[in-house]
Amino acid sequence: MTTALRDLITNPNAAELELLARYGMLPEDARRARAFEAFAKEDLPHRRIEGWRWTDVKAALQVIETPPRITVADTLITDNALVFTFTPTGFTWPEDLPEGIRVLAKPEAQAFGGAETMPLGALAAALSGGGKRPGTLMIEVAGTDLPRLHFQFSGAGEANFARIQILVRPGAFVAVSESYLGGAGFTASLLEYSLQKGAVLSRTVYQRASTAEVLASTASVQLDEGAAYTQTTLAFGAKLARLETRVSHQQAGAKATLNAAYLCAAGHHADITTDVRHGAPACVTRQVTKGAVLDGGRGVFQGKFLVPRNVGQKTDADMQHNALLLEEGAEVFAKPELEIYADDVECAHGNTSGALDANQMFYMRQRGIAEDEARALLTEAFIAEALETAGDLEDVLREQARAWLAR
Amino acid sequence: MDCCGGTDEHEDDCTEVIVKEGIDAKTVEAAKALESENYSAGFSTTIDMEFSPKGLSEDTIRFISAKKEEPDWLLEWRLAAYRRWLTMEEPTWAKVRYSPIDYQAYYYYAAPKSGAKYESIDDVPQEILDTYAKLGIPLREAEVLLGVEGAAETAAAAREKPRVAVDAVFDSVSVATTFRKELEKAGVIFMSISEAVRDHPELVKKYLGSVVPQSDNFFATLNSAVFSDGTFVYVPKGVRCPMELSTYFRMNAENTGQFERTLIICDEGAYVSYLEGCTAPMRDENQLHAAVVELVALDDAEIKYSTVQNWWPGDEDGKGGIYNFVTKRGDCRGARSKISWTQVETGSAVTWKYPSCILRGDDSVGEFYSIAVTNGRQQADTGTKMIHLGKRTRSRIISKGISAGKSDNTYRGLVSINKRAEKARNFTQCDSLLIGGRCGAHTVPYVENRRADAQLEHEATTTKLSEDQLFYARQRGLGEEQAVALLVNGFVREVLQELPMEFAVEAQKLLEVSLEGSVG
Repeated sequence: MTTALRDLITNPNAAELELLARYGMLPEDARRARAFEAFAKEDLPHRRIEGWRWTDVKAALQVIETPPRITVADTLITDNALVFTFTPTGFTWPEDLPEGIRVLAKPEAQAFGGAETMPLGALAAALSGGGKRPGTLMIEVAGTDLPRLHFQFSGAGEANFARIQILVRPGAFVAVSESYLGGAGFTASLLEYSLQKGAVLSRTVYQRASTAEVLASTASVQLDEGAAYTQTTLAFGAKLARLETRVSHQQAGAKATLNAAYLCAAGHHADITTDVRHGAPACVTRQVTKGAVLDGGRGVFQGKFLVPRNVGQKTDADMQHNALLLEEGAEVFAKPELEIYADDVECAHGNTSGALDANQMFYMRQRGIAEDEARALLTEAFIAEALETAGDLEDVLREQARAWLAR
Repeated sequence: MDCCGGTDEHEDDCTEVIVKEGIDAKTVEAAKALESENYSAGFSTTIDMEFSPKGLSEDTIRFISAKKEEPDWLLEWRLAAYRRWLTMEEPTWAKVRYSPIDYQAYYYYAAPKSGAKYESIDDVPQEILDTYAKLGIPLREAEVLLGVEGAAETAAAAREKPRVAVDAVFDSVSVATTFRKELEKAGVIFMSISEAVRDHPELVKKYLGSVVPQSDNFFATLNSAVFSDGTFVYVPKGVRCPMELSTYFRMNAENTGQFERTLIICDEGAYVSYLEGCTAPMRDENQLHAAVVELVALDDAEIKYSTVQNWWPGDEDGKGGIYNFVTKRGDCRGARSKISWTQVETGSAVTWKYPSCILRGDDSVGEFYSIAVTNGRQQADTGTKMIHLGKRTRSRIISKGISAGKSDNTYRGLVSINKRAEKARNFTQCDSLLIGGRCGAHTVPYVENRRADAQLEHEATTTKLSEDQLFYARQRGLGEEQAVALLVNGFVREVLQELPMEFAVEAQKLLEVSLEGSVG
């Protein structure tokens, strides 16, 4: 490692030294270097950085090591899915691709705009690749009658980095799913979704990991005229799990739906962060985030709507975050933020947190339902709204949530 | 809506603002009336002044301390703050932009030459009396419109016939404090902080810096080093202060900063209502105002603190204006205590201000009511912090931001529920309104909940439980806002409308605003 490289991070901890070493071992690449520098500028994100005040990665990730393995089945793999897997050491992809889907596994990095605002996305861009793993996996989608694309990030090891770019051609329609099943001490992925005119994409994210793992999934979404993007997330957290989505409405009439549910048990931290830029007239954003947290768990929600001057007129956006603290000792931190520079817009946000409704509990108990069961039923009903947009996968997600609640 | 074809390059040619349909015309008028060209407090007073040496150093601090004939402990306290400040960085997280402040370009002390504090109102130079008269603040008690007679009036009578005791601070010094004798009869101490240091050192020593520590933040630390004058209030046990207290801050001299320090202590079961007003002449350079206000409410005490902030906002092109970087914090130290902040913010070029409540005592209550109107090139980043530490603590935040011209108006607020704050409640509502398409309105709420039995609601969304309660209250004829107030705080009182005072006219105009057509 050159001295200059080491100097990129002031007082690096063991984890940051490991990241520097991994970067040093990858072939030289100007784009990779830019991404890494964008990451290194502020070190691993920590609580003194505004967007990370409740999710201190630097504190959680002191060293990068292989955690004790916990096997989790991937229930999102169904017959109609084309499966791509990313492990700490390997990568697999389906041999037969239907017409309308083209895949390029590029060894080198691609340019990453906005790297400064997405430090762990930049890190994923800088460290993905090496060996047989692609630096950037590029996928082009054209057509409408296509199988679901499924990306699985799992497998034992120290670290798992991946970067995927998906381009959806005008009028195309595709469903995409991502499973983060843990296994590595540190997982960071960057997904870039580009929806061209009138394209429709439905994305489902399922995340589950142990309390020994740190995970960051960063998605950057660009929407062209009339494109429709729907995202549904079910997260169970990890020692630290950050699921971040940045959406840019670039042309008029684009629509984004960003729903998420998080369920956190002891030692689990789930952070749902979104940032939506309404950079064109008459774009629509709908966002519902629901959470339920047990003793020792922590849920974080950070949502931001930006409506820039002139271009964002007629924006119609609504953000809701509702959380249940199921037991004492649970924590929920929220920041629903609006930044508006246009006068003819509708932007609303709401945020609530508290216990389950005592009246509803009473009603169920009165009818002979045991307390645990009543609590599970009410909580499931509470988060259900956020999962309704998952289409075919809604039942799978509901089932996972139900199983967690029944524990 | 854009009146000039959509690019920022043309914005300076823009003369007429097109207002979105559905926005109340009165609101637009009210905001327009607050534009800088209508600023009536912008005159300056010509009077011989004495200044500290320009700039900031330990010598400046020694100079200020010597001028005020302060005891050694206070000088040491100031110097410790200064040394700390030298190691601190100016905060940049607020949504405001301004050119770097040259802290050496200010005078940190400016006082009329004829003396700091006058023995009698007759000794106060006529120029200063005229200044306050022109601002609508008569300093001669006999001139106070609303009655002077009867020192032994009961609290009830005083409420019916409101009067106001005024502490007038002119640049760095307090020039007059009215109704002192009468207040003394009730046991209320109302004087400038410089006098309090001399006359009541034990109280000052006990409470100064106990709510906002010296090291709190960049501007509070600067204030701790160089604070000039401000008001000291102590209301003894069980006393309901017989009249409203107020301080009127006037920044007059050029190139000065004003660093007042206010300390209000309400002992057990006491009550005080305090008002603060501020204005400054129109000057082309930016002046710095970095105040610290500390409130302490002991068991069952209540402090109501109202501000009408009307510092010179700068002209429509953003030239001049006050940088208002203020730290205000109330400590509900006692059980069942209550602190209520009301602010009407219309002035200042840049505002950075978060009047906060530390709800330490069990069953204590914090309230924050704010109307912030920005015009021209003003930038306001303001809000509150409600820190729930005690059991069954309750807080309520109502914030209305109105942006016009090319201004930016940000609500930033924190609601934090500590692990020990059993059954805490908060209700927050923040509405913003944009008048024209060249301004900005932003909302940055932080909500930290560490209690399952806490109930936190932000904006119009309510949980099922409250919906039932709301329905119950609405059914009995209460309006929605009233009902919410009832549920959260157990009472209904629109504090804003209670501003009696010389501020009433000004505030009334603002109260006419409607948030119809607001964006969220």
